[in-house]
Amino acid sequence: MIDRETFGRMLSASARLMLDNADVLSDIDSKFGDGDHGVTITKIAKLVQDHVAAWNDASIKDFLDDLGTAAMAVRGGSAGPLYGTMIGGLGVELGDDENELSADTARRMLAGCLAEMQDITNARVGDKTMMDALVPAVAAAQAVETSPGGAEAVFAAAAEAAENGARASEGFASKFGRARSYGDATIGTPDAGAVSTSLFFRGLAEGAAQR
Amino acid sequence: MKKFINDPENLTAELLEGLAMANPDILELGEDNMVVNKKLAEADRVTIVTQGGAGHEPAIEGFVGEGMVDIDVVGDIFAAPGPQACVDAIKLADKGKGVLYIVLNHAGDMLTGNMTMKQCKKQGLNVARVVTQEDVSNATRENADDRRGLVGCIPTYKIAGAAAAEGGSLEEVAAVAQRFADNMATLAVAVRGATHPQTGTLLAELGDDEMEIGMGQHGEEGGGRQPMKSADETAAIMVNALVRDIGIEPGEKVMLIVNGSGATTLMEQLIVYRAAVKELAKQDIEVVANFVGEMLTVQEQAGFQMFMARMDDELLRLWNAPCNTPYLKK
Repeated sequence: MIDRETFGRMLSASARLMLDNADVLSDIDSKFGDGDHGVTITKIAKLVQDHVAAWNDASIKDFLDDLGTAAMAVRGGSAGPLYGTMIGGLGVELGDDENELSADTARRMLAGCLAEMQDITNARVGDKTMMDALVPAVAAAQAVETSPGGAEAVFAAAAEAAENGARASEGFASKFGRARSYGDATIGTPDAGAVSTSLFFRGLAEGAAQR
Repeated sequence: MKKFINDPENLTAELLEGLAMANPDILELGEDNMVVNKKLAEADRVTIVTQGGAGHEPAIEGFVGEGMVDIDVVGDIFAAPGPQACVDAIKLADKGKGVLYIVLNHAGDMLTGNMTMKQCKKQGLNVARVVTQEDVSNATRENADDRRGLVGCIPTYKIAGAAAAEGGSLEEVAAVAQRFADNMATLAVAVRGATHPQTGTLLAELGDDEMEIGMGQHGEEGGGRQPMKSADETAAIMVNALVRDIGIEPGEKVMLIVNGSGATTLMEQLIVYRAAVKELAKQDIEVVANFVGEMLTVQEQAGFQMFMARMDDELLRLWNAPCNTPYLKK
């Protein structure tokens, strides 16, 4: 089972990974985007750290909702609103008093997160967006076999699939955002959003495994 | 790329400053590339908010003013603005009677629009949304969610703005705008692509003797690539596609717009308009409202969009009602 404290550590680990790789993300984004993804991700990661540090007795659901709303307001392209939706989305399927995450709860969180994202975008795997990492991550989380308490394994499976998905985005031509106007020229460069999403999931998995 | 520009990163900011300097009595610039109706403070009615990327001038920001759009949130070139700015614009625009939020159906605009609506709902804001999606070339009417929003947003702003000025409730303004949008259709034709003014990328390539019916406003392919035809032949193909799509019957009245894409001359647009009206007359369809010229352009793309909408007395009254914007005055 993952409790509130552990979940806070998971988010902090994600923030740390995103901060450590901010320059890499901006570098990827500079090829066909406006080169500021690392800057925006830095703002989001700091927001995550601040919220975790100030987490008092709010439920995981309320905490994610607050953090998602705050991230939504981060300026700098669509990353803030998308991350806000993704982070807030992790909480939508949680009950008000669900503060112990089992493997099944973790699966439900991830499925709810994907549904929230699919509510706002038609992007699919292969369109060179965050969805290239998120969709396989959620699918792997649903498929992995675990013991009832093994939420760590759910996040570990999600992280691995997200990384594979981010790598696979190299082979896709951009269909969304500013990079779209470069079309096939974007093949060979991964999607910056898919890479940052894989870092987010890797952090969750590492934080969960550290207990 | 031969364009009179400065730093490509400053295109949007500079064009908006120019627009504001040219129209100081009509509009002003707000935070986050908002273009705001100068008389918004006095508005005691439903207000109209929209959003969209720059690079399509005069759309969309050139239609901010009394009787049309109250706030347009402008994104970067061909890029939607973020949802936070749109939520802020909706709050700023709300004068207690609610806000109609009009969004064109493009991936980025819809992403922002969906997130904006989620936030508005969460914050309890009184907002209704109408999506314009009228490109007949890339999906059937049954699959309207896949239809792109083309020039049809502009007359939709006009209809909505006039209904708001008449004092309609948010429900009524949204309903009449939706009714108009449900009965409109656009078809585009391109003969030469444009270049992206920031990146210099050619948005579409066409042979010297080719035209493409159905090209979207960022050079998206529409599938109708064919040898170049005369104005009369092209107009007839397009008129018939639009009449068929909307299901206009003999005896009905329509609005007809020929919208230049940026590099097609007004001479050509007028010749096409003439042919379209004649083709409609043959089918006993009367043009009761029109516009010929540039409303929504794609840089130096050559070609035009032909727009048609079913009209009735109410829609005609709203179309003819007064408005004062930089690029449409009635």
